[in-house]
Amino acid sequence: MAKRKGLVINDRQLDRCDELLQKLKEVSGSSFLALISTSGQPITTAEDQYHPETLSLASLAASSFAATQQLAKILDENEFTLLFHEGKGLNLHVSQVTDKVLLIVTFGRETQVGKVRLYTQRAIEVLQQIFEGPEDENGPEMDSGFELDAGLAIDDLFKDL
Amino acid sequence: MPLINFAAREINYKIVYYGCGLCGKTTNIQYIHRTINPEARGKLVSIATEEERTLYFDFLPLTLGTVKGMQTRFHLYTVPGQSYYNASRKLVLQGVDGVIFVADSQITRLDENVESYLNLWDNLLAQGDDLTKLGFVIQMNKRDLTDVFSVEDLNELLNHTHSPVTESSAVTGEGVFDTLKIVCKQVIAKTG
Repeated sequence: MAKRKGLVINDRQLDRCDELLQKLKEVSGSSFLALISTSGQPITTAEDQYHPETLSLASLAASSFAATQQLAKILDENEFTLLFHEGKGLNLHVSQVTDKVLLIVTFGRETQVGKVRLYTQRAIEVLQQIFEGPEDENGPEMDSGFELDAGLAIDDLFKDL
Repeated sequence: MPLINFAAREINYKIVYYGCGLCGKTTNIQYIHRTINPEARGKLVSIATEEERTLYFDFLPLTLGTVKGMQTRFHLYTVPGQSYYNASRKLVLQGVDGVIFVADSQITRLDENVESYLNLWDNLLAQGDDLTKLGFVIQMNKRDLTDVFSVEDLNELLNHTHSPVTESSAVTGEGVFDTLKIVCKQVIAKTG
């Protein structure tokens, strides 16, 4: 039986994404950026300091964005491509890159929404090119021993439970 | 759809607990959070109503560790079971790699189990997924109660795919990890 393919990120894509996110962070004055999958899994981040809740943030942002898309449908709008939350000290901006990838940007009072939106939109155009192309050509195959070793690791993780 | 990040040496799988309202989905995930080695799990995120009914989902990331150089994670989600939350269930199912269908074994919950099982198929088909190509386990929960269906009867009612079946009592933790272990191995075997 053919195995299911997922969203595969290769070295070249990740390097280009990291470079672009770092540049976007600098020019937009934002504090934290993350590329995530629409199913809520982080791909890469650019941040001033490690964010311990990146997994939760990715899960919640993806779910929130998916809910926004459904709201658009209910309201007979083709799509809402942006989700924005304004806080007292911090703002959250989530936008769609491709049908499988989202971009999260957080920023504070030291920059302006318009500036972030402008540079984010430009960055998305470049990111879309990075993720273009058939997924199967994007990366190498999984190591043939992965399934066996993962099975042993699963047994070990759940032993005595 | 797993996220395979060869560059960062990471692979993430999404596993969803599905089933009717009050069947024990959240209880499963809470037991895992309480019991598993704290270093292997992240924060449990729950979006619930004031009555502690799941409104949107629960989320718990588990880290398997490094396998063949790949940091391997399982992201566990639950869906809201109540029938009128179907829009939310569809969203949680996006990108799913494995499903644990939690069946409430009580005789009085038969209709709800069947409705939820059919709803799972409908929602997966609507997003272009085929349950037979995903990891799939049926967990017969609440086996500690009296007035319950036999495993054979529930199997006949809900398991036309001949998928693995486990018996559990999520409240006590019986069978919780047995179920999770099976689906974790399935999602790895069925994706690549």
